[in-house]
Amino acid sequence: MHADLGEILPIWSTLPFVGMLLSIALFPLFAPKFWHNHFGKTSVFWSLVAVVPFSILYKGQAVHEFLHIVLADYVPFVILLSALYTVSGNILLRGTLVGTPVVNTVILIIGTVLASWMGTTGAAMLLIRPFLRANSHRKNRTFMVVFFIFLVANVGGSLTPLGDPPLFLGFLRGVPFFWTFELLNQMVFVVVILLVLYFIMDSYFYRKEGPRPQQGNTEKEPLGVDGIHNLLFLAGIVGAVLMSGVVHWGELSILGIHRASADVVRDVILLLMAVLSFLTTKKEIREDNEFTWFPMQEVAILFIGIFLTMMPCLKILQAGEKGELAFLIRAVSEPFHYFWITGILSSFLDNAPTYLTFLSSLLGKFYPGVDAKEAVALLIKEHNIYLKAISAGAVFFGANTYIGNAPNFMVRSIAEETGTPMPSFFGYMIKYSIPLLIPVFALITIVFYL
Amino acid sequence: MTIEKILFPSRFRELAYESLETLFPLKNAGLKEVVFFHVISREDVGFVPFGGYLKEEENKLREEAVIRFADWQNSLSERGIESKVIVHVGETVHEILKTAEAEKVDLLVIGRKKRVDGASSFIGSYAHKIITRSKIPTLVSKYMVQFKDQDATLTKVNKAPFEMPLYAADWTERSGRALDLIASLRGVVRKVFLFFNIDEKTLEKSSETEVESLRASISEKLQDYRNRLKAGGIEAESHIGAGGMLDEMIRISRERKASMIIIGNTCKDRLLSNILDRSLSYQVTKMSELPTLLVP
Repeated sequence: MHADLGEILPIWSTLPFVGMLLSIALFPLFAPKFWHNHFGKTSVFWSLVAVVPFSILYKGQAVHEFLHIVLADYVPFVILLSALYTVSGNILLRGTLVGTPVVNTVILIIGTVLASWMGTTGAAMLLIRPFLRANSHRKNRTFMVVFFIFLVANVGGSLTPLGDPPLFLGFLRGVPFFWTFELLNQMVFVVVILLVLYFIMDSYFYRKEGPRPQQGNTEKEPLGVDGIHNLLFLAGIVGAVLMSGVVHWGELSILGIHRASADVVRDVILLLMAVLSFLTTKKEIREDNEFTWFPMQEVAILFIGIFLTMMPCLKILQAGEKGELAFLIRAVSEPFHYFWITGILSSFLDNAPTYLTFLSSLLGKFYPGVDAKEAVALLIKEHNIYLKAISAGAVFFGANTYIGNAPNFMVRSIAEETGTPMPSFFGYMIKYSIPLLIPVFALITIVFYL
Repeated sequence: MTIEKILFPSRFRELAYESLETLFPLKNAGLKEVVFFHVISREDVGFVPFGGYLKEEENKLREEAVIRFADWQNSLSERGIESKVIVHVGETVHEILKTAEAEKVDLLVIGRKKRVDGASSFIGSYAHKIITRSKIPTLVSKYMVQFKDQDATLTKVNKAPFEMPLYAADWTERSGRALDLIASLRGVVRKVFLFFNIDEKTLEKSSETEVESLRASISEKLQDYRNRLKAGGIEAESHIGAGGMLDEMIRISRERKASMIIIGNTCKDRLLSNILDRSLSYQVTKMSELPTLLVP
């Protein structure tokens, strides 16, 4: 740990990170076509703006930190997401479902449960098309997709490090695999309220829309799951991640960066699971799932920019009150502060870097200069509620906007492609997330953090 | 087997319309409808990172395709051939195969219409993926191609592919279906070159007498084919090659000035088939400058 770098880095060193996050927040809103065609160049631009000057100014120390964040955080992060994405893309739900309030609520419950085990992206990609197909006859579908984003693409992922990227980043920093189960009460609290709200809304619209129009001689396809053997690979992924948090096989050095051997083995197993899943599943299953690598490529390209530009910011925060962001560390003191500040920023920035930023801020606040894994262990022992606050804030608030979490935009894209009108960026917030989610988060604050 | 309905996917590349024109004579053999198909790649409009879907862009691309096809539809209408336009968003190969099946077409026409850039292969990766999986007869159209013949680089325009096809027989069921297809093209096909090859291995293993007897038996079978085609009003002549199948087929097609090669489709969809595909039908499609009609 080179905490001294965090103590000397100037505040402007965070500008590339700010630029990267603002690009992600604003370009899709105001110049979507430009962004679609040039997001890769944008990511490279901000990466260079961060890497080149810092490497010149701080030489070996900066290079070491950049390499560290790439090898210890970015690579495992992308490998895990890719493995979950691949395996879930090889599982196909077939069959004719009719979207009634009960059926829809059951799908949302299944998705919410699956999200913690196959990732919010995996669960969302597995279920969104069957969910949309089941409701293709319904007139009001927009709110259904919004609740799908709330529950399956976000809140459901809060129970394990596999569920949502921020929690995996926490796991990489030393948060135990099963620690996230401590969020169970909060998760159940949010899920129950949202499901009840959903059921009431869906029942209302279902009655209002009247009976389902007759489909003529359309054949009913029996329900079934193709590629079910991929559950074995999913179990392999869970096992590999779990294993890396339990065993201690020493360290090895890659390009001068020390990494736990178990972490490297885990990454290899994850890749193997993805490859085996791909090779053992019929191409037709992926095609019927409309599987494409494109969203994963996008995430990989954007996140290299996020991780590289994030490094100075993380270092300053880890330096605690000795760093340039001391004012932020002093200003945020109570657990509910952390819940809301992590949450609000997670709504507009991606929740993974936001979580890391505030985890670093907590470590800098309570244990400046202490090795990250050791500091995380102490944090759990002595200030557990703070970690809960940033974990829940990062995961739950990711549902507040389309840009809060990667699967949100994938779900939106698929819904719009298949003819479900989706609200604009601000429409989503004004009509749905502010009136529905913010009161729930206020209740969470009262019940769990005050 | 009659070609009544054709699926014609297009990315509106150069010479696509000219390639369409080569299909007009099929009207005389019963062609009733052409389905124009365009695929908007999902990656062009969907999954805007942290954004969503470019609906306006999709609509624009859709309208562009419809307008471009409208011109082609007029040409078909003037010739009494019906047509319709389908535009889908998705993955090209999957959408083409799915639509061909859904529309129950009799022939799928694919392939780049112009290849004069010195490419070593006359078939691209998309077309290859399609021929390995297509369950219906698939014509790999090569309207204008450049190829090497005895060290000279020649440019060939395949304006009337159906006039004088070379038919490669191998006595299999798919080969039989290919012959049925040719027989249905009365009024379009002027002459067929019936071709069978005795491969190198057989020549090596067999005695002179055995080869002679084999040759006689092949001639007899080819004669049956000739008679059958002749009864249907199509002239045919037989050719027996010896040695490398691919080289022989290409040699005879050039010598006889064949206009197309028709062959049973032996391509198989398997892992890494883009690298490992050694099937004859793929090799012919890849190496011959002539349009290739593959019958599954």
